Amino acid sequence: MLVLTRKVGEAIVIGNDVIVTILEVRGGQIRIGIDAPRSLPVHRAEIYQQVTAENQAAVASAGEGTELIKSGGLTLRRPEG
Amino acid sequence: MTPETDSSVASLAPFMNGALVFDEGIPGFPEARQFVLSEFDHGGDFRVFQNLDDPDLAMVVAVPWLFFPDYSPELTDMEQRGLEIEAPEDATVFCSVTFDEQGGYMNLLGPFIVNSRTLRGRQIVLTDQDYPVRAVLPFG
Repeated sequence: MLVLTRKVGEAIVIGNDVIVTILEVRGGQIRIGIDAPRSLPVHRAEIYQQVTAENQAAVASAGEGTELIKSGGLTLRRPEG
Repeated sequence: MTPETDSSVASLAPFMNGALVFDEGIPGFPEARQFVLSEFDHGGDFRVFQNLDDPDLAMVVAVPWLFFPDYSPELTDMEQRGLEIEAPEDATVFCSVTFDEQGGYMNLLGPFIVNSRTLRGRQIVLTDQDYPVRAVLPFG
């Protein structure tokens, strides 16, 4: 990991077109501004990581799941209407 | 824009014959590109979403509104434009299901969105919507 130290108001450029700016530091929180091509998704790491982990869990349990489904061992209650 | 809440399982039918292309892979599997959706022999609500290059990369999926009729994922303008979605009916949505001894869980935080015309898709991590990554599927 590249580690840089910045002051409030300073920025970091990533590649040719991503700019990360430190906007404000208050209490234990840091406000960060991100200028990036709008086609580039930007997410809080822990949210993105949740989806990554769930994809891995879904793949890992797919064998068990398909067996359950094929054996008819799953009876799902569907919402009415 | 909220994708059309068509709970009909038939909304996955257009994909039975073609490969879906995910240009950016999916979280956790960034190199994966082409996927297919397969039915189970007995039919039913579930499909298998499987990578063409690595058959072990497979997961059970289903249309979320079958189980969560109020689900209303919202895509940002950029997300819609990136997938060329101009109207709700352009988008088909399915979510992964994870299993354990207790039952099944659907990932409502990261739906798979596919353009039914272009067959290009992305797994969107919903922003500013507090859907669970593990919504309990009601087994009865």
